[in-house]
Amino acid sequence: MKENYIRLWLRDFWGIFTHELKTIFCDGGVLIIFFVAGLGYPLLYNLVYRNGILEDTPIAVVDRADCSESRRYIRKVDATRELSVAYRCTDMEQARRLMEERKVNGIIYFPADFGERLARMETAKLSVYADMSSFLYYKNLLMGSEFVMLDEVGQIQVERYSAAGFTGQESSQLVKAIPYGENLPYNRTFSYSIFLISAILLLIVQQVMFYGMSLLAGTAREENRSFATLPDSLHGRGVSRVVFGRGAAYWLLFMGLGIYIACIVPALCGFPQRGSYRDIVVLLMFFVTDCVFFCSAWSTFITRRESVFVLLLFMSPVLLFLTGFSWPTSAFPQFWKWFSYLFPSTFGCQAFININTAGCDLPMASMHLRALTLQAVIYYFLSCAAIYAENHVIRKRNAA
Amino acid sequence: MKRIVAVIRRELGIWRRRPIYLVGSVAVMAFCGIFYLTLLKDGVPSGLPIGVVDYDNSTLTRNFISQLDATQLGKVVRYDDFRQAREDMQKGQITSVCVLPEGMFADVQAQRQPEFTFYVNNLYFLGGSLAYKDILTMINLTSGAVQREVLRMKGVNEHSIMGRIRPVDVDVHLIGNPTMNYGAYLANMMLPGVLEMVIIIIVIYSLGTELKYGTSRHLLDTSGGSVTTAVAGKLALYTLLFTALGFSLVFLLYRWMGFRLAGSIWNMLIGMLLLVLSSEAVGVLIIGCVPVLRFALSIGALFSVFAFSMTGFTLPVEAMPAGVQGLACMFPLRHYYLFYVQEGIFGTGFAGWHMQTVYMLMFLLLPPLVLPRLKRAYVNLNFPKK
Repeated sequence: MKENYIRLWLRDFWGIFTHELKTIFCDGGVLIIFFVAGLGYPLLYNLVYRNGILEDTPIAVVDRADCSESRRYIRKVDATRELSVAYRCTDMEQARRLMEERKVNGIIYFPADFGERLARMETAKLSVYADMSSFLYYKNLLMGSEFVMLDEVGQIQVERYSAAGFTGQESSQLVKAIPYGENLPYNRTFSYSIFLISAILLLIVQQVMFYGMSLLAGTAREENRSFATLPDSLHGRGVSRVVFGRGAAYWLLFMGLGIYIACIVPALCGFPQRGSYRDIVVLLMFFVTDCVFFCSAWSTFITRRESVFVLLLFMSPVLLFLTGFSWPTSAFPQFWKWFSYLFPSTFGCQAFININTAGCDLPMASMHLRALTLQAVIYYFLSCAAIYAENHVIRKRNAA
Repeated sequence: MKRIVAVIRRELGIWRRRPIYLVGSVAVMAFCGIFYLTLLKDGVPSGLPIGVVDYDNSTLTRNFISQLDATQLGKVVRYDDFRQAREDMQKGQITSVCVLPEGMFADVQAQRQPEFTFYVNNLYFLGGSLAYKDILTMINLTSGAVQREVLRMKGVNEHSIMGRIRPVDVDVHLIGNPTMNYGAYLANMMLPGVLEMVIIIIVIYSLGTELKYGTSRHLLDTSGGSVTTAVAGKLALYTLLFTALGFSLVFLLYRWMGFRLAGSIWNMLIGMLLLVLSSEAVGVLIIGCVPVLRFALSIGALFSVFAFSMTGFTLPVEAMPAGVQGLACMFPLRHYYLFYVQEGIFGTGFAGWHMQTVYMLMFLLLPPLVLPRLKRAYVNLNFPKK
């Protein structure tokens, strides 16, 4: 009897599994989403964010001081990677107009007393005006001008201490009382693409699966079938094999797609890969399993084929923010923190960033893996419940 | 005219029967408004966890740590060894690690220049950059304090000490966002972006379902056989709905939330109206070119998700590969962004943004090109429905 049950379970499982695969491959719309979006989107993002670094932001310089120090400063600013002096203006009005015409994204202004103050050994001030239409302009302007400032400060200090009778050794000890070494190990150049693409890759896996699965669930409903029909021989007691059978079809497809997105695309695009492939594949196993149950639970609410786009497309950018890749999770309001725990992408993307780009190993990602497992278990039972309820409704309708 | 009114009546009936149109526009916008404005309500994040490994445990290092902890931005997390701190940084639990070497205080006293090292995880962008800035400021201040002590001991007066420690100072002015409000910066473009997405998707859906459910002939009957009247009637209603949403958005951002706007809010309404119209035109173009609902929706979805990137408000367009830069002008949101930069950041008024209005109006030339094709599809219903 026991053996019989297992064999029956496996046969049903196999039947549902192959049927689901057939459905997927017979549906043009789903194939477009799975393959065109799934294969193309990661490449597209890599293409757009290929450089990821904004270099030589054009600025205008208004030099009212016109002294050797201000000229030296301007030369150094022009030599930084961040900034390039595009225009030299005689007054602020002219520089302001250039900024409004978007020919420059910043202004550096040297007041007339700049050189005089330096000669008097006082603090000389210069003003920087940053265009805030993109934070990267601001970052470049701030970093470019501050690096030059720190360098200038060091140079002028040495000059002044020497003038005050300090020896070279003494003055360098004073100027660099605490020398510092900065290390930005995972993203040395503050590259926008490294941080964005690390976060976005696994999100693409989840969203592609969700839209595809919802599309199929909606189609089945429209055709008066149900995605949840149980094998007739079972009299409604085979919920688990439906969930597993359907899930296995998606799992198989998305492990392939996931390996492509998480391992092959980064390699193709020269993206840093500091984790081992084995770890990434293990992460994918947890993540894809979780996504399968997540999608099968939520897609039960979709009643028509296309409505998922109308109702839920806006969630993609929302989920991206919920991974905490930009606004830090430590500053999330409590409600949104809990809300983010509903989605596999929150943990999956963070784990991917940590493993792939920051070089974590699996034990260090165990917290995220545990969260993914817990989610998978919960969503498994929810999708079982959904299928059970659906069958209940169908039987009632048939009886009526 | 009577026909147009008939089409509008018919569309209102559809709205009543199927709530998806209102849920997909009004509810989505409301959710996104609440989401972006509450998630980022602080403007600048505070209490970023910064790891500190203090191998010295002296008054100098304790002072440094408590000052770092006292900044609005940072919250110090102490570690006993570097390995533990490094692992937590890799896991993204702390933004950065500062290492205070053993004997730091003694070395400073003896002017032996102890080296301070810090590590920043800038894979979490905002947290990383802000922590980087915070630590850099703190260490320069500490270094300055050491210099000041030495100079005081040498008997230099306070006035000249400042000149010696800080011969050059930079005064930074932020044009358009003086408080560096990250929430305002993002919401300013994310929310109009969501609106563009909603418009494109809903317009495609509304025109496409007629094909899918074979009701397009009924629609043409209502409009007296003219596809122009049919589309005009539908769009008249949607323009009303989306303009109302767009105007509420402008008032929400610049009145209620009080985000900075250099120019006038009335001009922003012009920009918003043009964004609504040009996005509708894009929607009509897509369903007209591909009169199959599911394909059109997939294309619309790809287009509108991609619009967020191509707007250039995060990574500026000029930093993208040359071949991609030109594509940016295909997106109405890009022109709205440039409009906003002129009006909202510089306050230049008409002189600054008139070209953007021209570009956005040019989108309106697109729908007439595809209407004949849409009409053929509506009459013959010869495209796959599934």
